[in-house]
Amino acid sequence: MAVHSERVQTRSPLVGKDAVDPSQAAAVKGAPKNTRPAAGPGLLARSAPYLLILPAVAATLALLGWPLVKTFIISFQNLNKRQLIQHLTEWNGFDNYSDQLTNAAFWNTAGRSVAFTLVNVVLTMVLGSLVGLLLNRLGKNMRLLLSFALIMAWAMPIVASTTVYTWLFDSQFGVVNWLLSQLGWDSMATYNWYSGQMSTFFVITLLVVWGSVPFVAFNMYAGLTTIPAELYEAARMDGAGSTKIFTSVIFPSLRPFFLATTFLEVIWIFKCFTQVFTLNAGGPERLTETLPVYAYIEGIGNQHYGAGASIAVLTILILGALMAYYFRIILKQEDEL
Amino acid sequence: MKRSIVGRSWPNLIAVVLFVFFIFPVYWMVSTAFKPNKDIISKTPVFIPLEATLDHFDRAVHADQFWTMVGNSLTVTVGAVLASLVIAMLASFAVARLKFRGRKSFVLVIMAAQMAPWEVMVIAVYLITRDSEMLNSLVPLTIFYTMMVLPFSIWTLRGFIAAVPKELEESAMVDGCTRVQAFVKVVFPLLAPGLMSTSLFGFITAWNEFPLVLILNKQTGEGTAQTLPLWLTSFQSNFGNDWGATMAASTLFAVPILILFLFLQRKAVGGMTDGAVKG
Amino acid sequence: MKRQLIAAVGVAAMVVGLAACGSDAKKADDAAKPKDYNGKTLTAWVMDGSAPQTWQDGIKADFEKEFPGAKLKLEIQKWNGIGAKVTTALSEGSVDVLEIGNTQTAGYAATGGLLDLTKDKANLGGNDWAANLNNSSVFEGKQYAAPWYFTNRVVIYNKELFTKAGIAAAPKTLDEFYADLDKLKAVPGVTNPIYLPGQEWYTYFGLVVSNKGQIVKKDGDKYVGNLSSPEAKAAFEQYKKLQSYSNAPKDKDEATPAQGGIFAKGDVGAMIGLGWEAPAPKDMAAEKIGFFPIPGVAADKPSGVFLGGSNLAIAQASKNQDLAKGFLKLAMSDKFEGQMASTGLIPNKPSLNSLAVTDFAKAAIPASASGDTTPNIAAWANVENTPNPIKDFLTAALAGDYDAAAKKYDEEITKRLAQKQ
Repeated sequence: MAVHSERVQTRSPLVGKDAVDPSQAAAVKGAPKNTRPAAGPGLLARSAPYLLILPAVAATLALLGWPLVKTFIISFQNLNKRQLIQHLTEWNGFDNYSDQLTNAAFWNTAGRSVAFTLVNVVLTMVLGSLVGLLLNRLGKNMRLLLSFALIMAWAMPIVASTTVYTWLFDSQFGVVNWLLSQLGWDSMATYNWYSGQMSTFFVITLLVVWGSVPFVAFNMYAGLTTIPAELYEAARMDGAGSTKIFTSVIFPSLRPFFLATTFLEVIWIFKCFTQVFTLNAGGPERLTETLPVYAYIEGIGNQHYGAGASIAVLTILILGALMAYYFRIILKQEDEL
Repeated sequence: MKRSIVGRSWPNLIAVVLFVFFIFPVYWMVSTAFKPNKDIISKTPVFIPLEATLDHFDRAVHADQFWTMVGNSLTVTVGAVLASLVIAMLASFAVARLKFRGRKSFVLVIMAAQMAPWEVMVIAVYLITRDSEMLNSLVPLTIFYTMMVLPFSIWTLRGFIAAVPKELEESAMVDGCTRVQAFVKVVFPLLAPGLMSTSLFGFITAWNEFPLVLILNKQTGEGTAQTLPLWLTSFQSNFGNDWGATMAASTLFAVPILILFLFLQRKAVGGMTDGAVKG
Repeated sequence: MKRQLIAAVGVAAMVVGLAACGSDAKKADDAAKPKDYNGKTLTAWVMDGSAPQTWQDGIKADFEKEFPGAKLKLEIQKWNGIGAKVTTALSEGSVDVLEIGNTQTAGYAATGGLLDLTKDKANLGGNDWAANLNNSSVFEGKQYAAPWYFTNRVVIYNKELFTKAGIAAAPKTLDEFYADLDKLKAVPGVTNPIYLPGQEWYTYFGLVVSNKGQIVKKDGDKYVGNLSSPEAKAAFEQYKKLQSYSNAPKDKDEATPAQGGIFAKGDVGAMIGLGWEAPAPKDMAAEKIGFFPIPGVAADKPSGVFLGGSNLAIAQASKNQDLAKGFLKLAMSDKFEGQMASTGLIPNKPSLNSLAVTDFAKAAIPASASGDTTPNIAAWANVENTPNPIKDFLTAALAGDYDAAAKKYDEEITKRLAQKQ
């Protein structure tokens, strides 16, 4: 109980927000609730919100805004080893951008990144939700056991999990090949997982999904515990089956959970670097490079910092485009608040 | 009857399969840390390290400046988590409870800020730090790690604050509390689990950060400002990785996170028994 | 007229002045010797695993004795992310002396980050340095570093398995080597007669050198990939033949997984590697491990090898250039260079070769004579950056069509050599 009860608390915001929000929204709309400000809308009261967000705004401007602007500036420079060492500034206009935009490798990588993100996010969300449903259904001891495994997987350092996976799938000394050949699939005894694009992606996907499912599962479980039992009963009285219950009770109640979690997973998986890079360095033949890996190899690895910055800027734009839909939905929710 | 037993046991069966799937890589990390080299590279996998050895742990712990790096990692991580929690709490209260012009833009910025590609912004951060003459110091690490976790912290905490029924706060104010008092006395205690879970994310992020510290703090030896992720990758070289030592180091590296998980879980249970959140 | 005269006199005066400056500087240098260096700290970077502890302790003691008041801070740097670390450190002036891989030296010399040591070469003992080892420290006619140590790959073999296979003496020619590998193949329990992963490009590089070829060649005023040349192809045939005796993955290099660990299992006949890749005594008894040079086509000359190693350079931005030169002189002295040799590395001058007496060094030194370094051009470092096209080329060529692979990767190499600096 202990382990996941924490989750209940922990992750309820994503859900809880919404479980509470509607009533609250109604309350807010129903009556002008701003009792205090109404009593005395003084300067302090009016400036209070701004004072409260001031540290966050200042930090964001200085610590995120500045590096972003700097990255943007660098993206218009020819900045390599020599220029960095000698503190030289060599402007080269849009060269870095036109180099990338006319480069087939960039577009292939961008497309691959989007596909990679889609596949992994869908798998993570579906499997994570199923595991969450399972947690809700299990008895106390089994739930504790599974939660324990999920937490361990979540807490494992990414460097470590990537190293372990590299090795589990090693062609000569990997446990996976050994297991497959023991099960009678002899041709897999020395199968080289890293020799093909798809088989490498298979391992990367397994690693990413393995690492991402616990977060989704715990959130899902936490969300499920906030759905009042009466809702299920009512649905069951109406003769709904489990599929029907999911679509008519669970999904609508947890819609904000799905939105918020998907939002985070899209960002996290799109940006995921260590797993893709460490597993096979983007190989074979650069066929498993995603945008962050590509930006790193061109920018930091090859020490073409200007080119790397332009890829970073383009990456942000592409991610922004992917997320536009979410921004709209979530901002719409803000209106309702 | 028979069918219902099957019906009742299939979730358990799946749970066991999932348990093995999720735990196995973790088990493999820990068990490998104890295996002698000949069992690590083995055609037939050695599942239980019968000839256990502490050699790898010995090598990992006796790396140069190990304890300094432990101290640095803890300082930087705890500093970043606390700083981001304080800043996030103020901001998330404003967003969750107050209406003001620009609120929506602020929320938009916080959402967008989570997309920041820190790995590729490293060189810009480096140039800023270099030109401010702050290299080889824990200060820039702490403040940039604070920023890395701040957007998520605001986003999550704001949900927790919104989940505390407004009526609780209002009744406190009716009882004569000021708004600040109401927050401190009523909302804050209910936020404990939220603060815990938010800090967990921050802790994992800051604890694992690698690309930035790699080029910011290059000075080694006494007084180094390097952190544990650099130590963790130091058993890999151009001539191959020392797998045993890497696994031993990874095991040790994961320990603080596990402790935090266990600690937070108890706290959160405490919050749970108060029973107020679910209201 | 007058003006020209003045100009001429001016130029002459300048020349004299410069010359005077030169001699003055020397005197000043000598005069500065006894002065104390209180509060100055010299920071030197050496790579993880390069300098033995006795060397570190010894040079620190000698340095601090010779420069009273000065401190030497030796910082051991890890390999991970070394490119960005060196670049940023050079931009900061936070490092005075640093170890730079010989394939990377020209690239850093071209950035202007390294101090020109041309004038100091003689003082550092540079007249005795072996020419082929000093090559990589020289860029566009100027000396930018001092050659520190070198090493090259040899065949590391399992003596027990060789005996079992009935091999009495180390092979002298490639054909004998192939025959021995065939014998090893017949020994029950041997998994790999030789462990040679497909992307072991250093061995391929050495074979190209034996065949008198080049991986890149000069074409007009630029450099281009040269894998399509007949010499490179002939070298590949030898490489492919050797590789066919191995079950190692064709798309991995010798470091993933580390071949020493696999060799230590005891079922591998041989591998091609450096001295420190041989298993440690706790993993495999030292008396079981033997070394011989990679055989050449003819018995009189071993195969060509890739000469790896490191140079020591001084940062242009160093604020302690005198001290840095003093340190460099110590490091280049027979005492400390000799210590590097006695660990089995090849020292920068042949007169110290006799100190390199480890079994590995005995095999490595004869082969080093026919070794070569990578092309000494600024852009070479780009070629070695991940993903290294020579490695990918080997994988592709081992899988089938040599000519197509050579053409494709020549283009990639040419592209990298032409990258903006």
